[in-house]
Amino acid sequence: MTVTTAQSDRRIDPETDDAAGGGTQLRRKKTRGLDKRNRPLWMLAPGGVLMVLVIVIPVLLAVFISLLDLDQYSLREWIRAPFIGVQNYVEAATRSSMFHAVWLSVSYSVLVAIITLPVGVAAALAAQNRFRGRGFVRSVFLIPYILPAFVVGTVWRTMLQPGGVVNSLLETVGIDGGLWLNGPQSYWALVLVQAWSSWPFFYLLVLSGLQAVEAEVHEAAALDGAEWWTKLRYVVFPYLKGPVALAAIISFLHNINSFTLPFVLFGVPTPYDVEVLPLLTYLSSFQSFRFGLSAAMAVFSLALIAIPLAIYLRAVKLDTGDEGHKK
Amino acid sequence: MNNKKMLATMAGFAVVALSLQACSATGGENNGDAVDGSGKSLNVLIAANTLYPTEQQSWFDDVSAKFEEETGATVEFETFASANDELTRIQTSVLSGQGPDVYSLGTTFTPTAYSTGAFVTLGDEEWEKVGGRDKFVPASLGISGPDEANEIGVPLASRPFALAYNTELLAEAGFDAPADSWDGLLEQAKAMTHDDQYGMAVAYADNFNPWKFIWTMSLQAGNPLVVDGEATLDDPTTVEAYRTYFEWMTVDKVVDPSSVGWQTAQAVAAFADGNAAFLPMTSATSAVTFDKSAVAGKYAYATMPLIAPGETSAPQGAIEAATIISGDNIVVANYSPNQDLAFAFIKMLTDPEQQEIYFNTFGEMPTNAEAAETIQSENELLAPLLDAGAQSVGTPFSGAWGDVQLALGNVVVQLIPAIASGAVSDAQIEDQLKSAQESAQSALDRAK
Amino acid sequence: MSLAIRSTRARTRRSREDVVMRLLPRPLMVSIVVFLLLVVLIPILYIFMASINSDVSIVRGDFWPRDISFTNYVDIWSTVQLGKGLINSVLVAGSVAIVSAFLAVAMAYVLVRYQFFGRLTILRALLALQSIPGTLILLPVFVLFSSISTIIGVQIIGTRGALFVTYLTFALPFSTWVMVTYLRGLPRELEEAARIDGASSWTILTRIIVPLSWPGIVVSGIFAFLLGWNDVLFASVITNPSTRTVAVSLQIFGATAEGGAVPIYGQMMAASLVCAVPVVVLYLVFQRYLVGGLTAGGVK
Repeated sequence: MTVTTAQSDRRIDPETDDAAGGGTQLRRKKTRGLDKRNRPLWMLAPGGVLMVLVIVIPVLLAVFISLLDLDQYSLREWIRAPFIGVQNYVEAATRSSMFHAVWLSVSYSVLVAIITLPVGVAAALAAQNRFRGRGFVRSVFLIPYILPAFVVGTVWRTMLQPGGVVNSLLETVGIDGGLWLNGPQSYWALVLVQAWSSWPFFYLLVLSGLQAVEAEVHEAAALDGAEWWTKLRYVVFPYLKGPVALAAIISFLHNINSFTLPFVLFGVPTPYDVEVLPLLTYLSSFQSFRFGLSAAMAVFSLALIAIPLAIYLRAVKLDTGDEGHKK
Repeated sequence: MNNKKMLATMAGFAVVALSLQACSATGGENNGDAVDGSGKSLNVLIAANTLYPTEQQSWFDDVSAKFEEETGATVEFETFASANDELTRIQTSVLSGQGPDVYSLGTTFTPTAYSTGAFVTLGDEEWEKVGGRDKFVPASLGISGPDEANEIGVPLASRPFALAYNTELLAEAGFDAPADSWDGLLEQAKAMTHDDQYGMAVAYADNFNPWKFIWTMSLQAGNPLVVDGEATLDDPTTVEAYRTYFEWMTVDKVVDPSSVGWQTAQAVAAFADGNAAFLPMTSATSAVTFDKSAVAGKYAYATMPLIAPGETSAPQGAIEAATIISGDNIVVANYSPNQDLAFAFIKMLTDPEQQEIYFNTFGEMPTNAEAAETIQSENELLAPLLDAGAQSVGTPFSGAWGDVQLALGNVVVQLIPAIASGAVSDAQIEDQLKSAQESAQSALDRAK
Repeated sequence: MSLAIRSTRARTRRSREDVVMRLLPRPLMVSIVVFLLLVVLIPILYIFMASINSDVSIVRGDFWPRDISFTNYVDIWSTVQLGKGLINSVLVAGSVAIVSAFLAVAMAYVLVRYQFFGRLTILRALLALQSIPGTLILLPVFVLFSSISTIIGVQIIGTRGALFVTYLTFALPFSTWVMVTYLRGLPRELEEAARIDGASSWTILTRIIVPLSWPGIVVSGIFAFLLGWNDVLFASVITNPSTRTVAVSLQIFGATAEGGAVPIYGQMMAASLVCAVPVVVLYLVFQRYLVGGLTAGGVK
């Protein structure tokens, strides 16, 4: 079973290794040109049409809306809402808590990545070697990541409420838990719950990365009599640089856009300390009816995401697979 | 349960008993004896009743069956879960010009719905179709529109807020009734706070409850919060209202310290356990919980204090608001092709029979004057709630009200850590109110 | 006899291999595993404990239930309308999983094996599209659907079809990306041979690529399934009561309407658990594919 997995992993892995610039291009096959004859481009059509229709056009619509004074008074005939140019952007930048929200989103996403990275790596290292019950452990490790965000939110909201099970457990060891769903501590509640539910992602990616470390490499390290730490540091970790970088960026992107978890966890009105960008955007449109303003903020957040995305796109070298035929 | 089943059966009999003469024939052109809706179906959006989900389901079936009997059309009910859900549904339907024909809205959302201009304004003809404007309890019409000529909402149910009190605890402490001023209430609460027992149960962390206290107290002190498009949230009376509300916890210590994180449900539960003497700002729906709890038979309702904090009698310019006008309004969408059916449906629901069924099923007060009278005479316990309803005052009718309400609630949300730490300074309140005032005013400035 | 020896030999070889492959010293490994098991299992255990506990006891913060009762598991089927929700979710998420996986194979095949103008742009776009915030396009998607529906005179919003199309589209960029990475790893010899024999692209795709790509197809299908299963944002505006997904049913149940009802924590926990079970099972069944498939890079 495991062997099959490893093989199928290997088939996928060269890309990731290359992608992340991991420098292990051992199995790279001889470069070959891509086919230019009889291209069945029509196969791209169904997916392409869908993506243009349901993603691209709505994004353009959103950009258009961000230039309108669209609110409850003009909603009924939205197409005729007054065109106000960049006023919404000006308002978002000067008279809303957008920058506060941006700071929260960025700092919390970074924090979650910093917390989950070592946990994920440790988990993968621990679950890599054979031991009795490994299958069980690997399955359990996946659970927080699989649980739907609304379930995670509901459950932790119940556990973190004042007088709830978290505080009563803390009380038994003599700690006053305080408020988790309001005030400054709510920020840490968000970080911890998000970390709880997302560390398995690092674990999964690192575990896949570990499959790429060939047995010979281990043999060599063993022959040199390397200590476990030295082996990890100088032999294994280089293999993981790629997957870890990738996981960090993906998790950052995911957390910046994370809406359901903070929404379910804290409800509305949201404590100022956890008013992250997706919540602010959602609230200003669906609570305050400021659709134009909200769209402006969302477009801004898209720009914000563009930065890590650009790094991501550079990291995932798109065309260096075995067909690597780039001009 | 058995009662509910009996009610359902009764509803069935009522169908047979009811005359099929639905709409008044004096009105407009296409009013026959009944609206003919054969083969059609009417879509109705209504709040999900989390307290009685199964009863609500069977109520849906009964109502639809009865409506079919009357008009030939069936009713498709659709539910929304929360205020958020409700807003989103209104927005998307307004935007797309398609969606439910009829909406049952929380009263405080009526101004917002009105501002979209997407709902039918009720002229004489429409009022006639629902059975006349005068069949309703007058106070319940207070938030149907900005003025009588521009109403959109037909009151369906009333949920006035009142004070529940533990008769046993009050008797022990030698009080025969709750005080009529907030200060008096506080003194009583202090006298009844000892050991694990608290004078009041208040849900500080609830999303809907706290701003109602502030609104009520501010009005009673003569500050209506919004006058002619100007917000007055930074007025000293409002600061005083917040201070009073917070000091129950921080200074007077008449509430459970953990209530800083309570939602309404926990406050209700604390009262139901017999741990609190007063439960202010609660509605008739709580009776169901109480009747199954430790306080069964040992509680009563009263209108909330009408005299502002720090006063012994109502000051100059005071608005004696016992509660906001709370409950549900029904509105009909402009885009609906089934408007006549919609009004026939509203007529059916607001006639005495259905109003009483509604009360018996969900514990929500009738808006139909005749039904209200019947219930008041039959139900001593709930009579004070109907009194409170009669003394209710509508929140300002402005498309910006939603934002003002949000701003008021937000002050509490942001100050909760301070409350928990044991002290809220006036400066902190003023600081929060300053930004609340700004956001309320900017919303009002945008109002059209 | 000889059999026994062989198996012993195999065992020694295996254990030697184990020693060589070992990454962490045993005590460290054990403590990490135990610690993380606790971190994961305690909250999960709590959900279960709360689901058989009384609401009052949950509010009080008890971990172990005071009086155990399984009625919550019976009640949720009528109060939350879980049954209908589960069926809708399975229908929508399931069909999204299947269709997106196959559309993705076809797209990935073209992208990996053929050179054409705009190919790199498409590859980049596949990644970029995954990072569009849902809150940005919620309203526009709705506007779009309702406009189309007005033009062609067919009800779109509220149908499972609308939800299907939405999720399918959201799933496609990631599914395609998974398949792109997967197909890159496939040897080309078979295809070349088939081509020499005069097979068309379609034949190659259906007869060679698809049968060889099952692991990748499964992974991209699972992620598409999850996307449909977990979404609340879009489902809450696109569905109506008869097409509502289980995520929305649960969210609706969790939210209490204005006026204040008593939250039914026990049932909420029971329902949460029931909602989570199908996806957890799905994951666990296909777990061995996941380790590979995820490396492709995408967003949960």
